[in-house]
Amino acid sequence: MTAPHDSMAHFHQELEDLENKVLGMVDQAEQMVEMAVEAVIEGDLDLAQQVVELDDEIDAAYLEVHERWTSLMARFQPMGSDLRKMAVLIQLSTTFERMGDQCVNIAKITQFNKDLPRVERICEQVREMGDLVRPMIRTSIEAWVRHDLDQARLLPAMDEPVDRLNANMYKEMMAVADNPELLEWAAKMILVSRALERVGDQSVDFAEQTAYMVTGVRSGFDHLVAPPGDADTG
Amino acid sequence: MRRDIEHQSDEMLLERRRPVIGVSRAAMQEEKVGRSTVIEVTDLGVYYGDFKAVSDVNMSIRQNEITALIGPSGCGKSTIIRCFNRMNDLIPTARVEGRVEYHGVDLYGEEVDPVEVRRHIGMVFQKPNPFPKSIYDNIAFGPRIARYRGDLDDLVEESLRKAALWDEVKDKLGESGLALSGGQQQRLCIARAIATSPDVVLMDEPCSALDPIATLRIEELMFDLKDEYSIIIVTHNMQQAARVSDRTAFFNVTLDDTGQRTGYLVEFNSTDAIFTSPNEKATEDYITGRFG
Repeated sequence: MTAPHDSMAHFHQELEDLENKVLGMVDQAEQMVEMAVEAVIEGDLDLAQQVVELDDEIDAAYLEVHERWTSLMARFQPMGSDLRKMAVLIQLSTTFERMGDQCVNIAKITQFNKDLPRVERICEQVREMGDLVRPMIRTSIEAWVRHDLDQARLLPAMDEPVDRLNANMYKEMMAVADNPELLEWAAKMILVSRALERVGDQSVDFAEQTAYMVTGVRSGFDHLVAPPGDADTG
Repeated sequence: MRRDIEHQSDEMLLERRRPVIGVSRAAMQEEKVGRSTVIEVTDLGVYYGDFKAVSDVNMSIRQNEITALIGPSGCGKSTIIRCFNRMNDLIPTARVEGRVEYHGVDLYGEEVDPVEVRRHIGMVFQKPNPFPKSIYDNIAFGPRIARYRGDLDDLVEESLRKAALWDEVKDKLGESGLALSGGQQQRLCIARAIATSPDVVLMDEPCSALDPIATLRIEELMFDLKDEYSIIIVTHNMQQAARVSDRTAFFNVTLDDTGQRTGYLVEFNSTDAIFTSPNEKATEDYITGRFG
């Protein structure tokens, strides 16, 4: 028996290029999360503007991925694991285009909150959420690249503290409700918190897509998440 | 009384064949309700002289489904499909081992008439092969041999309608079948195959000689026909198998020390499973073009 050879080498090269393009979007989104959190906490308008500009790049990459994807489907009609990878890549491009949008939402709050008084405890919580979600993106990428199911399954547990902090944010806002300026600032920070919570969910989705790509079975990771507890208040 | 015989339905005519092949139309209809097995293949092997072309095939073909056989050249898929209506009998050196059961009847049983088998299990070939006769006579040929006593005009029209050809040929039934386009000729052959009221239609690369539009028409026709027939198609075109079939069998080929190639069944599953997440690496390698 001769060793298997690739009679669709051209397609597989194009598929690899497409995958690298999507992973480039993921890298960029991870960077944008870090920049957006830094901008909103430090009130750095230049950094916030850079986030908006990076989002234009992600949007352009998203369109390019969709064009290449459509072309590949039309020309090669992939099957099996190639088809699953194609299905996941188009989903991921949408997921990370939206993650870019979440970062822009955070960046825009920088301008709004810049001159308002602030609550350091809330800033620390938002910073902590940023520090929690970026490793989630990184872990998702590594699970994808290595086809590592065990690593992909880590994501729901990594998402739990993010959800907890997000749920707690409402209490933090109500604690300053008697001060209109602080309340206005805190209300915007809830939007930041919500955006970061979504980034965490999108990372879990990435890991679920990885599991599908590897196994061919679509089953979410909900069963890996602890039942709702006191963290879900708020 | 004679009038009754002339007007008896085709179902009744099939009923009369019962002693020959042992399967009644009533039994077929009953089985259709449960979407049960129409052909059961057990440990099937085919030899041409000393050469073992295919070995150890086991599969169940379901009623009113389209079953696709795919695989590389030489894997024996055409050989297998020809076992289902004993077409291999026409090759003097061919020998079959194992069992092929049609509604529980051993097709290779001593009492079974191969001609009768082919009335129940029709075949459409790779190259459209109309008889050098009129369109009408192409359809009427089989029923006449079977001494069909119904209204032949009605049967010809019904067969051509089922094959989605009637509107194109109704005004030129006396013209030669060979004057039709390739796609029309193939639909004529399908009409001819179903004119004898078969239960199963075998299609061996039915679209390989057709252009894409004619191919899609045949595929659409297959969708329509499967309500009434079970269809087994051999195709080199994986996309065609993915488009039309309910279940797909992937065959591969092994080489022995002497260079002899023997086909075998690798995987038989729902078409969705075969083309999105097959169980066997050989299937995955074939459908993704990584086949060695």
